[in-house]
Amino acid sequence: MNSAQIEIQLIASLVAIACAIPGTFLVLRKMAMISDAISHSILPGLVIGFFITQDLNSPLLILLAALTGIITVVLVERIQKTGLVKEDTAIGLVFPALFSIGVILIAKNANDIHLDVDAVLLGELAFAPFDRLIIAGADIGPKSLWVIGTILAITIGLLIAFFKELKISTFDAGLAASLGFSPALIHYGLMTMASITTVGAFDAVGAILVVALMIAPAASAYLLTTDLKKMLGLAIAFGVFSAISGYWLAHWLDASIAGSITTMLGILFLIIYLFAPNKGLIAVMYREKQQRTEVSLLTFLLHLKNHSEERERHVNHLQEHINWQKVRAKTVLDLALKNNMILINNKIVSLTQKGDEFTSKAIDYIITNEDAQIEDMKDDFFLFRG
Amino acid sequence: MRRKGKIPAFTETMDLKEYIELVFNDYTLRTITLGTAILGAVTGMLGSFAVLRKQSLLGDAISHAALPGIAIAFLITGSKDSNTLLVGALISGLIGTFWIRGIIAKTHLKSDTALGLILSLFFGFGMLLLTFIQKQPNANQAGLDKYLFGQAATLVESDVWLMAIITGLCLFVLLFFWKEFKLFLFDTDYAKTLGFNTNFIDILITSFIVLAIVLGLQTVGVVLMSAMLLAPAAAARQWTNSLSKMVVLAAVFGAFSGVLGTAISASQNNLSTGPVIVIIASVFVIFSFIFSPSRGLLFRQIRFIANRRDLELQKTLAFMYHIAETHEDISHPHTIKILNNFQGYTRKTLQKLVDKNYVTLDGTMWSLTEKGFETAANLYNQQAIKDE
Repeated sequence: MNSAQIEIQLIASLVAIACAIPGTFLVLRKMAMISDAISHSILPGLVIGFFITQDLNSPLLILLAALTGIITVVLVERIQKTGLVKEDTAIGLVFPALFSIGVILIAKNANDIHLDVDAVLLGELAFAPFDRLIIAGADIGPKSLWVIGTILAITIGLLIAFFKELKISTFDAGLAASLGFSPALIHYGLMTMASITTVGAFDAVGAILVVALMIAPAASAYLLTTDLKKMLGLAIAFGVFSAISGYWLAHWLDASIAGSITTMLGILFLIIYLFAPNKGLIAVMYREKQQRTEVSLLTFLLHLKNHSEERERHVNHLQEHINWQKVRAKTVLDLALKNNMILINNKIVSLTQKGDEFTSKAIDYIITNEDAQIEDMKDDFFLFRG
Repeated sequence: MRRKGKIPAFTETMDLKEYIELVFNDYTLRTITLGTAILGAVTGMLGSFAVLRKQSLLGDAISHAALPGIAIAFLITGSKDSNTLLVGALISGLIGTFWIRGIIAKTHLKSDTALGLILSLFFGFGMLLLTFIQKQPNANQAGLDKYLFGQAATLVESDVWLMAIITGLCLFVLLFFWKEFKLFLFDTDYAKTLGFNTNFIDILITSFIVLAIVLGLQTVGVVLMSAMLLAPAAAARQWTNSLSKMVVLAAVFGAFSGVLGTAISASQNNLSTGPVIVIIASVFVIFSFIFSPSRGLLFRQIRFIANRRDLELQKTLAFMYHIAETHEDISHPHTIKILNNFQGYTRKTLQKLVDKNYVTLDGTMWSLTEKGFETAANLYNQQAIKDE
């Protein structure tokens, strides 16, 4: 590893951390698509800022572009408030229009401006180490490293200072307002931070990757935990892991670093989406299947309790009467037998003592819709656990 | 057959008549104009459904999700034929769409997170593949990145035919399943109880939206395609409350955005068609937001002011009524000065009351007429009757 490689990985990791923090709150506040809108609509801000400053890393340009991001948020909210269209439509109307203005501005001034739309969307991390920050003749590292480092420091500072406020306003906006925190202030503060992070990171990783780095680690973490601190930690870890492994993937394939990091994020999300212990696809489907079987079991037991005549309780008859397929009927019978709920005597099914009590309780449970009365009963029913 | 290259550069002084002649005579310009018009029409039509189903941002996600499909189709076939690439785009767009639905249905992640995830992850993966393809020594890969921002100039006649055929197909399905679509759109539960297969209708609409988006990738590009879907529909929504009118209007708005956008970008140097079309469509939206008679902001404000005036008039009248009530003769004159304590009163409202024959003025004195007294007495009763 040479120093340029280390610097690239360092920049990518810092960007990942700086994105994961606001990203977590955006995902929790159901505003993930706002980050997509911001990342597109900063383009005109960047172009105008570039006209003024002629320097892509100038702090003024970052502020100007971030301002466009905030204007986007305000515009979306304004349009939404008129009630003419829904919120998602408002987002979808604002950012393509602003992005188009940016593209046209670039195209009309192609001679004066060394800004490539592709570069804005995708960034070029590989070139980041070549743009050095030189103060008083001494080379103190790549410019992007300082830019994103500063943004990250501010983000972390704000996070620590306002963690409590952010947490309460995210999960209970009403409580936050009644405690005297201004929801609008926190909302726009978060939006401002998201805009500044997007602008600071776009140069290195491009607008689309910023969106991926904000949403994907947070979404993956959300599938694993419901604790805010753990979620933040996990999101940061996922972001950094993808940044570094993505760099090496790009190195190996000789392809875009931004694209590879996103791909690693995608693979990570796919794995967690499938295998997360409680909320993963497989776990959910297994649980749903389990619940279906348990509901079937209950139906079956109720049927037995309702019919004392032997004809109704014959194994073969049950199949056609309750209209189950063979496999399912067998699963249910086995489950009931295993739990000592039924006895099968000469192909006639009958409830055991335990099964009878269980069924009576179950009827109570179903008839009583009040939570308080059945609270103590809940534990008895494996059916309703989880 | 395949004519490539830029639209001939026109001088800015060219007038409208010349341009229209050119549209009919020049192959490239005619193809592009037709193509963007058809595209605008079909996306406007289907966009109405997306907007009404509150799936506005789905289009954005689908168009981004189509990118890896284009790259993979190229990697597998090695062909740059737009139809082959569009099949790839269609497949990956559909995978993206159904994954979004899967995430929303099976996990506790919300729709915005699911959309943003699929959008950025698929797009990033697509970029990885595109840069990977670019580095391949043997491939003649140039031209794949036109799908990022679209290049209307690369449209050829066969592309336009494909668009026309798909638009026709879409129109046919729309008309054939109109009743089902409409019912599904506004009352899914009712449609279900009537025995319609709502899942099938849902998949049908979504698939057509994906198809329309994929069609537009070559012209408008991945990034701006969502606006083509949304903007005409959002504009059309402001003018009508009827689904059929909205669909037709959206198609017209879309087609006009396409034609005008092409014209503007053709008459200027260095203007790519996609962004211009999007801007034109956005102008349609802004215009509709402001000037639509029933929902528009301008007329809403005017109605608001008119209502306020009306209310103030009634307030003044009621105030006068309460004064007149205390006198035996309702037309007993009072000085205008009394009204000065009352905020709703202006010289204009007083004149209006005179015009309506509710009040007569005599110098600095006013008196209520019989008609005015009657109206004022029934003012609140009428309100009560209306409320019921």
